[in-house]
Amino acid sequence: MTESFTDLDVRPILRAGGEPFAEIMKAVSSLAPGQGLRLFATFKPVPLFAVLAKKGFTHEETELEGGEWEVRFIPGAASPAEPATPAPAAGKPAVAEGDWPAPVQEMDNRELDPPEPMVRILAATEQMARGEVLTALLCREPAFLIPELESRGHAWKGAFEDDGTTYRIHIRIGG
Amino acid sequence: MMGATLSRWTMSYFTAAILSLLVAEGLMAAGYGFPAAGLLAPQTLLLVHLVALGWLSLLMCGALFQFVPVLIARPIHSDRLPLPALVLLIAGLVLLLCGFLHLSGLPVPGPNPLPWGGALLLAGFAVVIYNLARTLWGARPLALPARFVSVALACLAVTAVLGFLFTLVLSAASESIVLAGLAASGIPIHAAAGLAGWLTLTAMGVSYRLLAMFMLAPETLGWRTRIVFWAGTAALAVVIVLGIVLVLVEVSALPALLAGLVLGTIAAALYGADIVQLYRKRRRPRIELNSRMASFAIMSFGLCVLLLLGLVAASASAERFASVVFLAAFGWLGGLGLAKLYKIVAFLTWLECYGPILGKKPTPRVQDLVIEPRARRWFIAYFAAVWLGTLALLLPQAALYRASAAVMLLATLAIAAELLRIRRLSDVGGELRLPGVVARPHLLFAVVPPPRPAAGAKPPTERPPR
Repeated sequence: MTESFTDLDVRPILRAGGEPFAEIMKAVSSLAPGQGLRLFATFKPVPLFAVLAKKGFTHEETELEGGEWEVRFIPGAASPAEPATPAPAAGKPAVAEGDWPAPVQEMDNRELDPPEPMVRILAATEQMARGEVLTALLCREPAFLIPELESRGHAWKGAFEDDGTTYRIHIRIGG
Repeated sequence: MMGATLSRWTMSYFTAAILSLLVAEGLMAAGYGFPAAGLLAPQTLLLVHLVALGWLSLLMCGALFQFVPVLIARPIHSDRLPLPALVLLIAGLVLLLCGFLHLSGLPVPGPNPLPWGGALLLAGFAVVIYNLARTLWGARPLALPARFVSVALACLAVTAVLGFLFTLVLSAASESIVLAGLAASGIPIHAAAGLAGWLTLTAMGVSYRLLAMFMLAPETLGWRTRIVFWAGTAALAVVIVLGIVLVLVEVSALPALLAGLVLGTIAAALYGADIVQLYRKRRRPRIELNSRMASFAIMSFGLCVLLLLGLVAASASAERFASVVFLAAFGWLGGLGLAKLYKIVAFLTWLECYGPILGKKPTPRVQDLVIEPRARRWFIAYFAAVWLGTLALLLPQAALYRASAAVMLLATLAIAAELLRIRRLSDVGGELRLPGVVARPHLLFAVVPPPRPAAGAKPPTERPPR
């Protein structure tokens, strides 16, 4: 069990309309071995769970007053590369044919208000390296996201899942 | 390219639409047109067309240029055609209104410009329909919301053609007996095709998607929505096709109108059930002002249908039906329009300004562009005044009606001022407002960056038919 936590409060950034993803990843990379991260956010940061699970963190969350959340990310408990929130229709092969590598990051944005899914995806793509792939689940076709991805030079593939309600998009950075 | 980009001219349509609404409300508050003038007096016709064309049709056209691409996730056929269409529509509207002034006895120089107004409007709408139809055609098979829009566009074509034919008769440009008969008995068909076909079907189709999107509600468009679509389409087909045939053989069009009313009532009732389900099943407990105010508009639609049925059952005089048209125009269509403008203007402005720098710099949220509590009281005043105005027309109480119109004017002015503040980013605080690369948006049009060809694989994306 982790005894020591670094605290990071991203609520001011979120309230100011900012995107704290970079700040969080910076804090994670500066953690000492065995150290955990205690994060305070204005919402339950579900997309982050999968990102940090890939880095080997499990999480415990507590709802605070006013719909805010405290989430404790604990190192070493989860096997890396296993997403904490597995995507539905997981039996479907991820896009890996040709030069599309397996995704380094997965997001489930289905419960987010528009245009939050687009905001999250674009913020994440700015942190990724050329050739890396991001996969995101959405509850509709991302009509406004697609031209923005194309204008930033990213390649993408997307389609509705068999359930007809979940839209899965794969984005490869830098085309 | 897939997806939807910003529609360049939508804001110009919205501006022209709101200006028309303000002028119309000013005229009503001043006592112009019905009930001071007759139901079919030129003054009333001027007012009705200023609202139906200037406010509601320009609003819907502007909205469709932006939202048809969102409905089908494909770009518009042409982002340039909306400008010439707008010029034709505004010129046509001005000439049409001058034509009604001419008929009302005002000394407008030259021959009556009514047919020219009708012709330019027909041309403008032809360009709109062509552009949207080409866009929709490329996305077949269409999902239900887009199918509503397709039928609505067909109704728009019928309305515009009938309207043009009427201008020929009213201005005495044509002496055809057939056309004179059509103009004498075809007005309810023209009104139904415009109000129920073009405007209401568009509002229904778009509202399914917008409400689901903004409330995080499951878009469960099942058997009930299909019946709404088919019953609504059948209602319009009966009223238009059978109605015109009956008028041409010089029989009363009343059976067609009544059959349309029965089918239309079924469609409206099931649409109401669909919308109640959308509100109930939403995953977002606290909804934004636009969704709360849209519920007042949809309630007005329900009231409209009930009022219409009541007046038909009571064999009420034609004057009483003015209250239904008023409630439909200002409560249902206009109310929904104002409520959704409050969100759409904020969203489009946000996307235009901050879309290109998302993830690269700190940006405000869409909701940072609006101050809902300030706008809320004006929306409530607006809807209260519309409902009071409807009652005043039913009673009838001319003074109460004018007072209601004055409150509507005041509330609309305040809402328009809020929209202006949104567009100018006036309520976005601090450094987030214009972070370096972001320019303040133009009031009348969007600056759309040219699309860059995709660098990688093309997507095999197809929306499965629901």
